[in-house]
Amino acid sequence: MKPSALGLIATAVGVAALAPAFAHHSFAAQFDGNNTVTLDGTVKEFRFVNPHALAKIDVADDKGTVQEWTVEFDGRLNLTNFGWTEATIKPGEHVKISGNPERTGVPRIFFTKLVRADGSELVRGGDRQNAIEEDRRLRAAQRAAAPAK
Amino acid sequence: MFHRALLLLTLAVAACSAKPVPEPTSPVPDLAGMYSDPPNTALDMFCFFACTDVGLRRLEALLDDPANDAKPYTALSEDATRHQLDEYLRPHLTEAALGAPMPDPMKDPGYLHCEPWGFARQLFAPHQLEIKQYPDRVELHYGEWDAHRIVHLGERAPPAERAHVPMGYSVGHYEGDTLVVETTLVTANFGPTRLWEGLHSDQLTAVERYRRPTPERLELTARLADPATFREPLELKKIWRFAPEQEIAPYDCEPAAPKGAEGKTP
Repeated sequence: MKPSALGLIATAVGVAALAPAFAHHSFAAQFDGNNTVTLDGTVKEFRFVNPHALAKIDVADDKGTVQEWTVEFDGRLNLTNFGWTEATIKPGEHVKISGNPERTGVPRIFFTKLVRADGSELVRGGDRQNAIEEDRRLRAAQRAAAPAK
Repeated sequence: MFHRALLLLTLAVAACSAKPVPEPTSPVPDLAGMYSDPPNTALDMFCFFACTDVGLRRLEALLDDPANDAKPYTALSEDATRHQLDEYLRPHLTEAALGAPMPDPMKDPGYLHCEPWGFARQLFAPHQLEIKQYPDRVELHYGEWDAHRIVHLGERAPPAERAHVPMGYSVGHYEGDTLVVETTLVTANFGPTRLWEGLHSDQLTAVERYRRPTPERLELTARLADPATFREPLELKKIWRFAPEQEIAPYDCEPAAPKGAEGKTP
């Protein structure tokens, strides 16, 4: 069974998030980093646990048949660094949640992005990726400003 | 008379051969506090787990090349990771270690069964590390697995007949601004995550050197020796950011799969 309409959008993307976060198992062995799936559904459960946080999402297809998907996140320890708590994702919330699909085809993704009903977003890695790219821009500017050797 | 001379000679030899415990010559460095993931810079984040000088130099060269400015950071860090594997780590491994089958990542006992990591992996665990300093010991508390270590200050070696355990036995002393920790009696286990994840033997020993060059930064340089695994000692690094806002909660690990279901997706 496939999730519906908005439900499943497969897009080729790079591995957007920082690789080091996968501390407990090989991401590449389990998930397809070249594809992204977007689920449109309702949060059934969010477990803020280690080694990886988990959410259960109910996703209805065109005929109204509901399928439960599992969303795997970084671990509680890592998410804490980005200010997440057990109340960051609430049961009953309607969300559009994207992630890399499990290679075996089971209804399971590794989280990359969540969009709430009010349009606010949670993105994997928080501001870390932006901060690193800003650091790189700074390095490039310093390099450009340095006198030629 | 002869016995007395023999006793004196024995004591003199023992005094000469015993490894001296350096006395602190300056105030004990202040390493205490809570630390967590490295500062958000391109070079520091490369040491999120463990890194090497070879990898850092490669990454720095890539970052300094204008031709790479448009490439994503992940592409550059993956290049540097491959480089340190090929140029530093693999050449350090013994034939036996190179020939050993790599552990199946889908059967990682930590992920599947919440089995705590051993010493070599725990040393480079990401996230929180809390350091508490006392006159006779240093306590290290890791967020990952809620693991605890005690570094016994002033001791030269483990007590006699001490058994091997996953986290080993650590003794330490201060050298200027650095805490030096020597660990032995570690049971065979996995190497550091994402760097070298093969198994090491129970002959593994480690010398860790912790220093805090600025109040905001903690650095570790660790030298791992294991004749069964490495041709010569491996030198690995790690960086943390001072993070007093963080706290270590119970690990509350949920197994990804029940025993006997290894490799199956839960």
